[in-house]
Amino acid sequence: MATALTGRGIAVVRNLSALLQSRLPLLVGGPQQLSCLHTSTPLETKHWERKNLQVYPPQLPDEPRRPAEIHHSRRQIKYSKDKMWYLAKMIQGMSIDQAIAQLEFNDKKGAKIMKEVLLEAQEKAVKNHNVEYKSNLYVAESYSGKGKYLKRIRYHGRGMFGIMDKVYCNYFVKLVEGSPPKKEEKTSFDQAKEYIQSLKNRTIIHSL
Amino acid sequence: MAMHMRRTLVALHRATSSKLKSAEASLDVRHPVPLFLPIRTKRRYFLPPAVKMMGQRKEDMEAKVQRAGIVVKQEYLERPINISCTAGVFDAYIPPEGDARLSTLSKEGLKQRTEQIKQSATSQLAIRKIKEHDSQFVTKDFAEQAQQIFIEAHNALTQFNKEKLHSLVTERCYPEMTRGNRYKTIRWRFVESLEAPRVVQARCPEMISKGNLYSQVTVRMHSKQTLAIYDRFGRLMLGSEEQPKDVLEYLVIERHLTNPYGRWRLHGKIVPSWAPAKDPIIKTVMIPGPVLKPEEEFDALNYEVPKPAAVQWYK
Repeated sequence: MATALTGRGIAVVRNLSALLQSRLPLLVGGPQQLSCLHTSTPLETKHWERKNLQVYPPQLPDEPRRPAEIHHSRRQIKYSKDKMWYLAKMIQGMSIDQAIAQLEFNDKKGAKIMKEVLLEAQEKAVKNHNVEYKSNLYVAESYSGKGKYLKRIRYHGRGMFGIMDKVYCNYFVKLVEGSPPKKEEKTSFDQAKEYIQSLKNRTIIHSL
Repeated sequence: MAMHMRRTLVALHRATSSKLKSAEASLDVRHPVPLFLPIRTKRRYFLPPAVKMMGQRKEDMEAKVQRAGIVVKQEYLERPINISCTAGVFDAYIPPEGDARLSTLSKEGLKQRTEQIKQSATSQLAIRKIKEHDSQFVTKDFAEQAQQIFIEAHNALTQFNKEKLHSLVTERCYPEMTRGNRYKTIRWRFVESLEAPRVVQARCPEMISKGNLYSQVTVRMHSKQTLAIYDRFGRLMLGSEEQPKDVLEYLVIERHLTNPYGRWRLHGKIVPSWAPAKDPIIKTVMIPGPVLKPEEEFDALNYEVPKPAAVQWYK
């Protein structure tokens, strides 16, 4: 990393980078545009969808039945990821019927899209992943991520401008078979007791 | 990296300043030249690419690729047709009712046993045609060969060995065998053969043009097999590994005779109309109910689940 670049060196590097930048769109754009019939194989799909392709070995009869897990997502939703996050965390941990009911009567734009995604996931679970009862599912994980943004110019006064982002988000959900796990409710008395206990557990080092 | 940037900037500016120094030295004028010269005409604003492309002409991608010298293979908008196997079972064998239900010692059983292929003339003609193309064809040994193909094909299916499966099974049969099985585990075992396999019918259909011969031979097999299918999570979906079942099957083996590299491959199975119902899967399934008028109510107690008609079909 201790190489010193001279004035000429920078010019060479700059030319190279310019060449690469002009070459890359040629390589990427050309063949893709011409081959428009290529259908997506499992090799091209993203990480979240690939989790659905994992196969477990057959279970022995004495083992507890492994709950089915279904990963589903929707990409490039025209909505903000921060606004979607509120809805995603609202339904996390709910059973699927409760989640769909809550989203149906929510006024946000993302709620309608999220409900469609949940219904799609439920159908896929019954059809493809051998889930017996469609109500026996709960939302284990649900979160939103940033999609690919489009950039536009927002015109201000005095010839000033700002770059406006046209915001897109992705929504991911994981349904697991079974009833939702019960949240442990800690009373304030229990918390106080724990605090006092932690104070009592302190040891004084280097004491007599 | 920031260090090197600064060094290069310093070097650049020293070079420019040195040039300036030399120019001014020639004019014999001494002015203090600053070490860092800000480049006045440097582009400072950012234009998003969508707006940047607005004024420019759209470049033709194909011309660009050609100029770059990249050769792209010619793509044909075609749908491939497979000619190494036929699309179905021609003149399917109709198995007699009560086959394998009667014991060999009774009168009806003997009658069935003595039903040789010699009764059917078309089968004899077909076998003669097969012997023209394949001189080593023997009807008695072929049944054993067919059973071997069947066992090997199903073993390849459990391992999901695509290449071996394609060599043992025709292109028409392959999707039927493997549809939906990609992410499932199948455990299949051939326990034993209860009766010797028998050739019951042979046909030699011609496809498209005269002389393009295929041959389809139906083999009857009575055997014991175990089948267990596990889904993606390792849970049992169908069957059991320990309990073997008696299976009476009519396999259709096909070969493309006019092709010198043709091989005998499993083409399909015939399921007779009187076949016993298969075991249900270990799952409750919802079936669509009857279409009701607005004033009607669904009577669950008196509703009879419709059963499919008993028809022979090829699998």
